[in-house]
Amino acid sequence: MIRIAQLSCGAEYSGVQRELEKAAEAVGARLIFPEVALDDVLNVESRFGIEVPSGDLNLAMARATRLVENPDLADAVFVCTCFRCAEGAIVRGEVRRFIHSHSRLPVLTYSFTERTTSDTLLTRMEALVTTAKMKGLLAREKQTGLTAGIDSGSTTTKAVIMRDNEIIGTGWVPTTEVLKSADAALEAALTEAKVKREELEGIGTTGYGRFLVGKHVNARLMQEEITVNSKGAVFLADAQRGAATVIDIGGMDNKAISVQDGIPGGFTMGGICAGASGRFLELTARRLGVNITELGKLALKGFHENVTMNSYCIVFGTQSLVNSLSKGSRPEDVAMAACHSVAEQVFEQQLQEVEVKQPVIMVGGTSLIEGLPKAMENLLGLPVIVPRYAQYIGAVGAALLVSGLLEG
Amino acid sequence: MRITKYIITSPESNILPSDVAMKIYGSGKDVRVKETCFGVMVDGEEDVVDSLIKEVRAMDPHGIFIKSRGFPPGDPRRCRSRRGGGPRPGYFMMECESKAMPLVSRALACEERGESVPEAAPQKAPISTEKLIEFIKDEFS
Amino acid sequence: MVKVIVFPPTSTILADMVERMGHTPLVMSGEIRKKVNTPSLESPPLNITPEDPKKGLRYAAVDVPSGIRGRMSMIGPMIDEAEAALVVKDGNCLVGCTGCARTNELARLLIKVKGIPQIELKYPTSDAEARRFVHDIRTFLEGLR
Repeated sequence: MIRIAQLSCGAEYSGVQRELEKAAEAVGARLIFPEVALDDVLNVESRFGIEVPSGDLNLAMARATRLVENPDLADAVFVCTCFRCAEGAIVRGEVRRFIHSHSRLPVLTYSFTERTTSDTLLTRMEALVTTAKMKGLLAREKQTGLTAGIDSGSTTTKAVIMRDNEIIGTGWVPTTEVLKSADAALEAALTEAKVKREELEGIGTTGYGRFLVGKHVNARLMQEEITVNSKGAVFLADAQRGAATVIDIGGMDNKAISVQDGIPGGFTMGGICAGASGRFLELTARRLGVNITELGKLALKGFHENVTMNSYCIVFGTQSLVNSLSKGSRPEDVAMAACHSVAEQVFEQQLQEVEVKQPVIMVGGTSLIEGLPKAMENLLGLPVIVPRYAQYIGAVGAALLVSGLLEG
Repeated sequence: MRITKYIITSPESNILPSDVAMKIYGSGKDVRVKETCFGVMVDGEEDVVDSLIKEVRAMDPHGIFIKSRGFPPGDPRRCRSRRGGGPRPGYFMMECESKAMPLVSRALACEERGESVPEAAPQKAPISTEKLIEFIKDEFS
Repeated sequence: MVKVIVFPPTSTILADMVERMGHTPLVMSGEIRKKVNTPSLESPPLNITPEDPKKGLRYAAVDVPSGIRGRMSMIGPMIDEAEAALVVKDGNCLVGCTGCARTNELARLLIKVKGIPQIELKYPTSDAEARRFVHDIRTFLEGLR
């Protein structure tokens, strides 16, 4: 049983404690509350560095200090506070940083409302548990044998075939019917690899459709995309040792993962609005009358400063898009403004919740829209790496990890 | 209606939680009793518990404090052994207040004896700028 | 007999003082008791469900964090019911039901603006302060008769 230490404020009173527990149970974990003494709470400032007016946040900080002094008390940490609470947000971030810099415990942060359900939390909890439970598997650096990985995403389905640490076939199709799309992507990859399905030694699945597709193809590994993508990213970027940051702007949600030696140490998964996703860039491309594959190159010729673009909400973002075009803005400026706007949201909302350490690796289909990694580079003031096969990141990670299950 | 009362003994009281528990056991009333670090929880029908509370309070009128409790004793929904450890939040409040109880206890006794109430200490006024400048000059001269 | 809300609403000392003087203390445990006794409600530990923060909308707007509204769904009705208030401001170990400073501020404000008889004190730190504390509370509570 994996023990997840819950450091929180407001969960019981928001009516979501049961949901947190359900999500933990669903992935074979148990929430625990590290024991602290009253003096630990009252003197939290001397050990943590600050005390705040809200006692429950002081309690969370006291529990954090107890955890870093006794890291064997838990296998992972879940830090959560109420959405829209400034005091909670500050403490949440500092607790994450504190645990990250004083222990090797994986940390997940989250802000909830009364509408948060266990379904929303499932992927995050699953990733946290995987990180804690499967350290051995996640430490794997090489793919062996002949394996396939399928990434059943919300927008596209990707498949790769790998043999002895090399990618020998890829398949990419838009997601329509989940199973049909998975079959088509796998078939395309098999054809390119000149391999028959029966020859595969193992299949790994990831993405939204991982369980459905996994059952359909008899997968040995069905894994959420946080751990799989970070593994795929450090593999492809040749950054398996040391620190790395993985950014994946997806069709429906975004992930920012802080990785140490190939294992996620902290991550956020978000994307409340489609304005911060690949969807908005697709929409921009359509509006500009260019193919999505050309949008990035077009953006590189433009300047985002020339266009006011607010894609905080996809509706307002689209209005900005229409307005700027009607005012005669250059398509290349509009394209760059759209890339900047999406990158800015990920920067503002998610990269603040993980440790951003070099190398910064951008993955997923959107990383191929050249304007997007460029905008991220500008915002971070750091170089951003887009490895080859970046769009197949989940499938590569799944193919690599499943090979680890075939031995012994 | 069933209720739960928490009977807390001041750390300076001559009455121990075990004395309170024995008193309640000795009454033979149909209640559940649980001893804790700070006192005793008693759970039962409202009228029965209320009459017991009166008797218990008489054991040390100034050193015993009583409050109602939301959960019955050992409720699995709040029990730390079933819920991942860590004391329930009310424990800290109780520990804090337990430390303040001797002060209140003594004050209650004085109050009953009708002793005069001491004057409030004068409010501290901020130091004057002139005085502060003087200190600064002294320190850095 | 007067219904007196105590703040912090989790305080044993204050609830005890009110009861000693023959009044009814309005305290958090009473609200929690209602929740834990609700049959078929399965949302441990406190049986607060996502519906409760919505009930809290009566006391705080939707952009106020859910934890505040959830707490207010319990504290708010107590304030509504209160006929007098005994408020101690500087509790330094407020966690759980009183673990959110913003909720505590809002609760104190709502008590204050209700216009019921109320007394505001500080926790005593010496015998002399405790004497005044107890005396002032007694005088206040006696005045409610």
